Amino acid sequence: MTRNPPLSTTRRSLLGAGAASLGLLAAPGLLHAQEEKFPSKVIEVVTHAGVGGGTDITARMMMVQAPAALGTEFTVVNRTAGSGAAALQYAASRPRDGHTILLITQTHLLTMLRNKSLPQFDDLVGVARATEDPQVIMVKAGSPLADPRAFVEASKERGLKYGGTHVGSVDHVAIFSFARAGGFKAPTLVPFRGGGDIVINLVGGNIDVALLNPAEAEAQITAGEVKPVFVLSRQRLANMPEVPTAQELGIRATAATTRGFVVLKGTPEDRVAKLEAGLVKAMSGQVFQSYLKSSGQAADSVAGRQEWEAQLAEFNEQSREALTTLGLLR
Amino acid sequence: MEAFLAGMATLTDPLILGMILAGTVLGIVVGALPGISGSTTIALLLPLTIGVSPIAALAFMGSIYCAANFGGSITAILVNAPGDPSASATAIEGYRLAERGQAGLALGMAAVASAIGGIFSVVMLIFAAPLLARAAYSFGPPEYFALAVFGLSMCAAIGGDGRVKNLMTAALGVLLATVGIDLTSGVERYSFGIMELSDGINFVPVLIGLFAVSEMLDQSTRRAEEPKLITMDAAKLPTLADFRKCARAIGLGSVIGAFIGALPALGATTAALVGYNETQRWSKHKHEFGHGALEGVAGPESANNAAVGGSMVPTLALGIPGSATTAIILAGLIVQGVRPGPHLFNEQPVLLYAVFASMLAANLLYLVLGLGMAKLFARISLIPPTILWPAVFVLSIIGAYGPNQSMGDVVIMLVAGGVGFLFRRHGFSPAPLIMGLVLGGMLEEALKQSMIIFDQNPLGFAQRPIALLLLAVTLAGLLGPMLLRMLRMMRPQKEAV
Amino acid sequence: MRMLPDRACAAAMAAVAVLAFAATYGFDEVPPGLAQGLGAAEFPRLVCLVLLGLAALLFLGAAPRNPPPRVPATGWATMALAVGFLPLMMVVGMLPAMLVFLVAMGWLWGERRWGVLLGSAIGLVAGIWIVFVRLFALSLPGGWLGERLFS
Repeated sequence: MTRNPPLSTTRRSLLGAGAASLGLLAAPGLLHAQEEKFPSKVIEVVTHAGVGGGTDITARMMMVQAPAALGTEFTVVNRTAGSGAAALQYAASRPRDGHTILLITQTHLLTMLRNKSLPQFDDLVGVARATEDPQVIMVKAGSPLADPRAFVEASKERGLKYGGTHVGSVDHVAIFSFARAGGFKAPTLVPFRGGGDIVINLVGGNIDVALLNPAEAEAQITAGEVKPVFVLSRQRLANMPEVPTAQELGIRATAATTRGFVVLKGTPEDRVAKLEAGLVKAMSGQVFQSYLKSSGQAADSVAGRQEWEAQLAEFNEQSREALTTLGLLR
Repeated sequence: MEAFLAGMATLTDPLILGMILAGTVLGIVVGALPGISGSTTIALLLPLTIGVSPIAALAFMGSIYCAANFGGSITAILVNAPGDPSASATAIEGYRLAERGQAGLALGMAAVASAIGGIFSVVMLIFAAPLLARAAYSFGPPEYFALAVFGLSMCAAIGGDGRVKNLMTAALGVLLATVGIDLTSGVERYSFGIMELSDGINFVPVLIGLFAVSEMLDQSTRRAEEPKLITMDAAKLPTLADFRKCARAIGLGSVIGAFIGALPALGATTAALVGYNETQRWSKHKHEFGHGALEGVAGPESANNAAVGGSMVPTLALGIPGSATTAIILAGLIVQGVRPGPHLFNEQPVLLYAVFASMLAANLLYLVLGLGMAKLFARISLIPPTILWPAVFVLSIIGAYGPNQSMGDVVIMLVAGGVGFLFRRHGFSPAPLIMGLVLGGMLEEALKQSMIIFDQNPLGFAQRPIALLLLAVTLAGLLGPMLLRMLRMMRPQKEAV
Repeated sequence: MRMLPDRACAAAMAAVAVLAFAATYGFDEVPPGLAQGLGAAEFPRLVCLVLLGLAALLFLGAAPRNPPPRVPATGWATMALAVGFLPLMMVVGMLPAMLVFLVAMGWLWGERRWGVLLGSAIGLVAGIWIVFVRLFALSLPGGWLGERLFS
């Protein structure tokens, strides 16, 4: 089709065509070469999303330009079970030599908090952040809640119905933290399967408020059916400059859908540094940047280890607090 | 009109035509292979489409999507292993036909019904997408609850020995659907600490086990019997009379498929199962069902392909995916810088019509390929069973493993194979279980969501006219035949046929 | 005296329903802060009751029918092979296990032409390898042996 398929691996067929049945094993390594060179084989990117899920697509977009930056092939390993638990377990079962990297989301941190038998937060070493998609509080256009001040007043009088993903999810934590920071009456979560369902039910009038990424409701915002009220980030967003941040009204709450790469503790420092440089370079490339831009995510999504680790730590604290108060942490 | 012609004119571009041809052939192949569906293929090839123009990329993805839904019927008919989940309803009658040595008949009908359903839905997409898309907003949890009740009520009619057994397997399917984390309370149910179960039971491995593996086990018990001589009728294609007989089924399937596909929460699999049921309900040859009814191939095949166009409705008009595959196509659109939504119809009509044109072309292309190759494919049923069935098992393994790369799914498939084997021996039909598993989750979730929305007051349903209407239709469907029979008994002379 | 086959089926389904009903009492409690209306256990319990009711209907309405034919030795052997595929795969990896299975089951079902057996098996596995591993770059389980040899 177009160019070289970046997905197919250019493995040397050591065993020849006659032993094609063993082809899976034709990866280099039969000789157990004890090279000091890194990377020396295919790097596995472990994700909890199924093929075609948002996180899976992020991984595959990164992989388009990563082989050039790091000089090796990449492959995605999808371990979907247990909201990240299977992905974490798989990574823990691999040697900590930098050839296995995890693409994680906040979901993994929540799963870790609730399941102590998995690798814990302290076992993670950040490598680079890939995407950051701020969450926005939205209501139906024409609703009396569309004005930020009216929204705050109404929230203090009665518990509003929020659309979000399932109980105990990242959305739930974000809604809880937002309502708590604003001193609101306890909100009711109406759980849905995904952003599309939430938008439909917001327009259909079944819920009062929705917590969404800007891209999820873009068509409805453009059509004037949905109105963003607050942005849950530190600064206003470039593509909706008229929408205030929650902090401007004194509600100290931020929330974003964030994805980034980590390795497990024990991976040699020089390899982490090499991975960091390579991944940041790959994701600064044209393919990944145009993916970020067109999916409505910030261009400064890509960040190095320091910023990413600080963010992970912040979210870990926020989650622990929310889960404890909700009674989901034992 | 100008935009329409300009869109059609893109078909003269050799690059676009090449993309459509490549997409269609690839779609048929991956559709036929269990374990790799149209949506997986599009997801895996997505990064490759970045380099080409949006129209070419969309033509490619659209063609794969259209053709994969047809491709699934090939393996469903030949070896009872639905290559794509949406072909599970096709397997019920299609495989019976192949067993009788009429694989060519079933394959030919599948190709024609698929193409008609597909073309119908694209035409509908061209003329009514923005209008139809509004319907999605009227469907909230209470309406989906009523729709799930309607779908499940039909299980009473599917194949097997009787209503009670069908309802039992459907209930078992609903029970299986409750496995995993409960959406509204976050509590894990029936997972017994097994991580693979905490996300629920995926229906693809269950489907492959119930149909393909149980068929292999069943065959293994009949090795001692005199092998059935499959006549060379296998390669015979349907005649005009066959098409005339199935016209009603195709029409019904197309309309049902397009409507169900347009609802964001339901996809081609449900469309095909509902299409199968309704075909049977309105058929003049009810007694043929369960023993290889050609209408039972035409109905679901037209429905699942009509669902393709249907699911593009909310995707393009609302930016909300109508199925797993369109979710990935949506991602592809966005990567290409095309922002879907109502404005798309005013701002980029040429692009839209080019997509529609390429989908039409893909439908015609697989019709030609499908009919042309049906004779060849049909000969697969002539492969000796000693080679064919071990191969089916191996493809089932990879079919269960592929989508999530999970060994747990392989185990689930093997268990489902054993259960399906027992089902067969005792006259239970596997189709209601699939229906229960697919709709059960929606039934429970929609009920709980509705109750939260109604502040736990069940009377809230009384204010939802669409939900009430659907529930009334369900009741009429269940009680209607009984009432009719009573009426006939009261005045037997006039109604005698 | 033997039970009617349909009664045995009904009893088995009833047992499933009772066990599933009992298991709902082992679910975690919904935290009080989140409990609203229908909890986690009510819906499965309702389904279990429906299943139990249907089993009772089947039990009462059971009519005599021919019991299913006995499963011959080939049938049992096929099942054993199918189940044995899993441990074999854990050891030698998915693709080699498939090769072994194809040959073993073809032989079991009565194919004695070794050329046909081996040729078709190798052809199919090679085809799977080309499509899934080469074209779509999916990683298939390498098994214990694969891990030892190649990583």
